[in-house]
Amino acid sequence: MLDVALIGFIGLLLALGLKRPFFWVLAYIYIDVVSPQKIGWGPIQSLPVSLIAFAAAFAGYLFLDSKRGSRFSLRQALILALFAYCGVTTLGAAFPEAAWTKWNWVWKALVFAAFLPLTLRTRLRIEAAALIMVLSIGTIIINGGIKTVLGGGGYGTLALLVREDSGLYEGSILSTAAIATIPLVLWLARHGTIFKPDWRVSTFAGGLIFAALLIPVGTAARTGLVAIAVLGSLLLRSVRYRFVYAGLAGLALLAAIPFLPQSYVQRMSTITQYQGDESASTRVEVWKWTLDYVRANPWGGGFDAYLGNSFTYQTSKTTGDPNNQSIEHREVTDKARAYHSSYFEMLGEQGWPGLFLWLWLQGLGVWQMERIRWRFAKREDGKASWQWGLATALQQAQLVYLVGAAFVGIAYQPFIFMLVGLQCALWSYVKRTEAVPRRATFKRYEAKAALPQAG
Amino acid sequence: MIDYFTLALTHGLIAAALWRLLFRPDLDADEAAVSAPPARPWARDGTGEAGEEPRDA
Repeated sequence: MLDVALIGFIGLLLALGLKRPFFWVLAYIYIDVVSPQKIGWGPIQSLPVSLIAFAAAFAGYLFLDSKRGSRFSLRQALILALFAYCGVTTLGAAFPEAAWTKWNWVWKALVFAAFLPLTLRTRLRIEAAALIMVLSIGTIIINGGIKTVLGGGGYGTLALLVREDSGLYEGSILSTAAIATIPLVLWLARHGTIFKPDWRVSTFAGGLIFAALLIPVGTAARTGLVAIAVLGSLLLRSVRYRFVYAGLAGLALLAAIPFLPQSYVQRMSTITQYQGDESASTRVEVWKWTLDYVRANPWGGGFDAYLGNSFTYQTSKTTGDPNNQSIEHREVTDKARAYHSSYFEMLGEQGWPGLFLWLWLQGLGVWQMERIRWRFAKREDGKASWQWGLATALQQAQLVYLVGAAFVGIAYQPFIFMLVGLQCALWSYVKRTEAVPRRATFKRYEAKAALPQAG
Repeated sequence: MIDYFTLALTHGLIAAALWRLLFRPDLDADEAAVSAPPARPWARDGTGEAGEEPRDA
């Protein structure tokens, strides 16, 4: 029954694409985020729905869609360069079998991110892509949020739609992605034209944000707590009434503490006690190992090069009351531990060139969004424009991700690369529509004229 | 039960969004996204847009 409904839904998306080929792009976004083929139990699992939508999106753009307004930007070239480099390291990977498995999904994420901005030629398309991304990840977020409220949480035990601990359905990854989605939800609720701002939109957006905040609680992922803190401070920069916001956020936090489950509070309090914590100690060891590894292999070891690591280290744990403490030392040997950090993931797998490309791609995104913010903030009512709002939202989402990424290996997360695609689209849209600096020249002249009077 | 509720909610919203998009002409071409015309300072309003008919209309 569920299979029939899901296949029917995908069929509907693809059929509507016959009238609007751009819908195939949206269909791919939906399938890539939600993975309906994993939710169903029967025939849908054997259908290559993702591949079908991927091919349809490309063919639709190439053969049916207008290319007016499509631009190819530097960041898309960077994505393709990263794609090519990953291909080369995969060919010479230290662990070919694992590397090819990872390559099979990474290449799609990269190619799609480079392709997406070409199709997002109009404001409405940018909004539509953002909306479908939010609603798609909303499926997982709302599901996890409700289950958390009903008491199904715990580290590694929150049962999401899919009984699989991979991709967006993995606790730490979902926490980071869920928090990164919040700025986009806020933007859609404020500037949406598909669902125009009204009480229904506000209610849904409020519920979705609440559910997103619950995901780090439900999955007990410490990364999520860090992500919330980052977003909280970033919002201080963009909200109109800072003090009101800070006050309300503080109140909400105080009100939330009594409701947090005991297990969650305990786990969060371990953030500072990394010495006694195997998960944190391992990270530090893996990072050291990675630095050694790239000294010998500066060009990277290909995907999943971490499989070759092995190290022994000591953990110390203090137990007992303050007057009678005993310190327990344990020797732990670990093998094939994952990077637990996107930066080290890039470094170990793609070496210095890969890390450089990736950092350039991400850094340029933060910078370009900032440029758009400056450009519009200078105007009268510029901060009320959808461009300023979207640039702010995409920058905040990216910064949340970049901080979260320090603790989770999500360097190639398709959802994040879609955000990058949205950024590229917004950048080239603004460049295209605001190409003539008439207004800026005029304003500068005006400012100069006003100076002597002010002095 | 929760699973069905979430799936119905978000999939319903996606379907509604697509339905609305289906009838929006600005999905494929919006006015602002067309490249801004080159500056023509010699024209009266500085844009050169006045009185011109779109050629490919």
